[in-house]
Amino acid sequence: MSAALQNLVNQPYKHGFVTNIESYVAPKGLNEETIRLISAKKDEPEWLLNFRLEAFQKWLTMTEPHWQNVKFPKIDYQAISYYAAPKPKNKLASMDEVDPELLRTFEKLGVPMHERAALAGVAVDVIFDSVSVATTYKEKLAEVGIIFCSISEAVHNHPELVRQYLGSVVPVGDNFFAALNSAVFTDGSFCYIPKGVKCPMDLSTYFRINTQDSGQFERTLIIAEEGASVSYLEGCTAPQFDTNQLHAAVVELVALDHADIKYSTVQNWYAGDENGIGGIYNFVTKRGLAKGVNSRISWTQVETGSAITWKYPSCILRGDNSIGEFYSVAVTNHHQQADTGTKMIHIGKNTRSTIISKGISAGKSNSSYRGLVRIAPTAENARNFSQCDSMLVGDQSGAHTFPYIQVRNNSAKVEHEASTSKIGEDQLFYLAQRGIDAEEAVSMIVNGFCKEVFQQLPMEFAVEATKLLSFKLENSVG
Amino acid sequence: MSETMANDYLDCLLNALPADSWNSGAQDRLDWLRRLRNEAIDQAGRLRFPTVKDEEWRFTDVSPLAKLPYKPAQKTSALRLSDIQPFCIAESAHRLVFVDGFFSPDLSRLSKDNQFIIGNLAAPTLTKTPLAEAHLGQHVQFRDNFFAALNTAFLQDGALIVLPENCAVSAPIHLLFIATQEQTTQYPRCLLIGERNSQATVIEDYVALGANAYITNSVAEFSLADNAQINHIRVQRESGSAFHLASSAVALEQDSQYRSVSITLGALISRFNLDVEFNAQAAECTIDGLAMIAGRQLADTHTRIDHAKPHCTSHQQHKCIVDDSSHAVFNGKIIVRPHAQRTNSSQSSRNLLLSGKAQIDTKPQLEIFADDVKCAHGATVGQLDNEEIFYLKSRGLNELIARNLLTYAFGAEVLDRIPVPSLKHTLEQAILNKTTQNS
Repeated sequence: MSAALQNLVNQPYKHGFVTNIESYVAPKGLNEETIRLISAKKDEPEWLLNFRLEAFQKWLTMTEPHWQNVKFPKIDYQAISYYAAPKPKNKLASMDEVDPELLRTFEKLGVPMHERAALAGVAVDVIFDSVSVATTYKEKLAEVGIIFCSISEAVHNHPELVRQYLGSVVPVGDNFFAALNSAVFTDGSFCYIPKGVKCPMDLSTYFRINTQDSGQFERTLIIAEEGASVSYLEGCTAPQFDTNQLHAAVVELVALDHADIKYSTVQNWYAGDENGIGGIYNFVTKRGLAKGVNSRISWTQVETGSAITWKYPSCILRGDNSIGEFYSVAVTNHHQQADTGTKMIHIGKNTRSTIISKGISAGKSNSSYRGLVRIAPTAENARNFSQCDSMLVGDQSGAHTFPYIQVRNNSAKVEHEASTSKIGEDQLFYLAQRGIDAEEAVSMIVNGFCKEVFQQLPMEFAVEATKLLSFKLENSVG
Repeated sequence: MSETMANDYLDCLLNALPADSWNSGAQDRLDWLRRLRNEAIDQAGRLRFPTVKDEEWRFTDVSPLAKLPYKPAQKTSALRLSDIQPFCIAESAHRLVFVDGFFSPDLSRLSKDNQFIIGNLAAPTLTKTPLAEAHLGQHVQFRDNFFAALNTAFLQDGALIVLPENCAVSAPIHLLFIATQEQTTQYPRCLLIGERNSQATVIEDYVALGANAYITNSVAEFSLADNAQINHIRVQRESGSAFHLASSAVALEQDSQYRSVSITLGALISRFNLDVEFNAQAAECTIDGLAMIAGRQLADTHTRIDHAKPHCTSHQQHKCIVDDSSHAVFNGKIIVRPHAQRTNSSQSSRNLLLSGKAQIDTKPQLEIFADDVKCAHGATVGQLDNEEIFYLKSRGLNELIARNLLTYAFGAEVLDRIPVPSLKHTLEQAILNKTTQNS
């Protein structure tokens, strides 16, 4: 890497600050007591407590997975506080009652809630640490019968729905981190789109880790009834801390007949400093069940943050003619590690899936694509297309591809292709002679590389993602 | 399987080991061999018998094998030249024949005025070659490969070819391994050392007389010095009840070229590991493979191409034709080490499923640590193209013939790479017969 290239990937984390809000933090450690405490604090019904305890029992029998292509020091699960909540206040009637400190935080993040709600037409269910503080646009959504609230609210107001679907896509004992999440999840979002309703706006949740050392265990559940459709946005930023924070979320999507769920993520958790100190461990289980005929589940993700990213948003294509999609851009720099990809499980007839994955590794980082395409014997005429491209910036980074293809039906057609390339000196030279400086040229080339994925993002996210990518890679090429 | 069972398996084999298994007369000269063997026994004891829980063996269940600690095969010599006639290759001037792993001088054909060394490893004159000591067991990764460790531990005999500097052998060298005994294990071994600027074509051929159940556990090592060029054709046509476990290791020095074609037709369960290591710049390898299986066969191919040095090129194409309830596995790993700049590597895995119960598991895998490289891989799984069938039908072929023709053409692309016409013809016939069995 030439010196000029060197000067362009090293932008400090722009969202690094800690908000000082009084919060209640549970004592560190994980045992049955902790789980009962969380359940009691949240005033949960018996069945949910049992759900948590069952998950905890399963978790005790499991061991941390080590097959993934990432390295991290051993996590002490007893040194984490499993519950942190801002001190309880009276119910808020309007935005004015929200803690001004909290509002300033969102201001700094560039998420002025009221503005965003009003101007962008986005309902933001704000998760601050683990408790949902304010929900906007609720009424507008309620008009068409959409339920969009925190999962703890849903547990109280719509227990039958939560009970029916919670854990139906990601069972409590699915994997180590999903079991942990099922045992201790504190809050998250719940979304229910009734039959035949097209959600009038993009739904959006901003997650934010705040209290130092408090692991975040978010739980998201989205259900689209017959003929319903919804686009859901998830964006992440986190303050700058030196100790590693564990984030083990679970996202479950259920699409019934003719339903359509589009789930977009921009993930920019704190990635640690240039020496690989600190940063978030992002160990997430995301899975969608295309349960009904002609249903569709689409994942789009832009992964730029976290010291370690380990997630495989998956689609179980059970309904006949169902469609699964996965569009991903993963950018790693410095000492970041990303092991991400998808699983497409074809069960129903005529199921189709598309995988487009773009990995960019700079600095001393490593990124891996790990994917599974499985065609079950029942999946007549299933079709899959996968494309995984990697771009290496500098000679100290690594790019890896682990695609698993398992075909059990001869009418299936599966295609996979992958390539690795770098930003060519001649590309940079060409742009330079057109008067474009190196930094902008890199940004252009990288954005061109990722274009297929960015096109899938909703407008605001696409703009944000493009910017995110350019400042993520600032000073990395030259 | 539990660890104790794995150790039992090894103990069982060790107890069956004949005391004078190697040329006891020259023991003083064979210290290095005893050391190698002892190390291999230790490694086999340390490594577990692989199970489907091991990532490398996820799709290949070899547990049926663990139940059959077949004793090493015994030396017999009942075969006559007429027995092996069907397997002979017209073009080859040099033939080494091993019956159940033991060298058969009567069946072999060696021309007298050789400019190169060819013979069996256990022959006293060859065992003393310092080259054998320098290379045997040095290329195959028996420290993390259970079956290669077993082969090294139970090594009886094998083929040794040493090509001196500037020696070009034009006629193909045929290494024929025949299995004749039931419920035994044979441990064939090959070692080829190509010195600077040498050239040769080697055919490694595994065949069987009868439909016996037996185990072949073979290891081949190829060491190519600067600018050496080797064509390696590997044909596995074992009996339909046999187990075939094989490892090949290839070490390439500067500007050397290794071209291989591996054809897998036989065995109930087969596993072939191919490791290619680039030890110097500007070497090249081309690796083609074809597995055509049916019934309840399982064919597993694992390849690992290690670009440890810059400016090297590798091209790989692996095809599987899978019929009935058979199961094909392919795992192709390409590693580009840091500083292995200007690597050019391509890999394609193409799979044809002919039946609703057939299974494919393919995993083309890239691990890249250098930025200035050209690496691409692709994998496809599918059935015959309906439009192609329609085209042939419109030309007057019936559906069955059209299908057979397309299946044959899919496989023949790999056979075309075989530079030995008579062998190519024999294999084409074998594939044609397989495709027309459906009619």
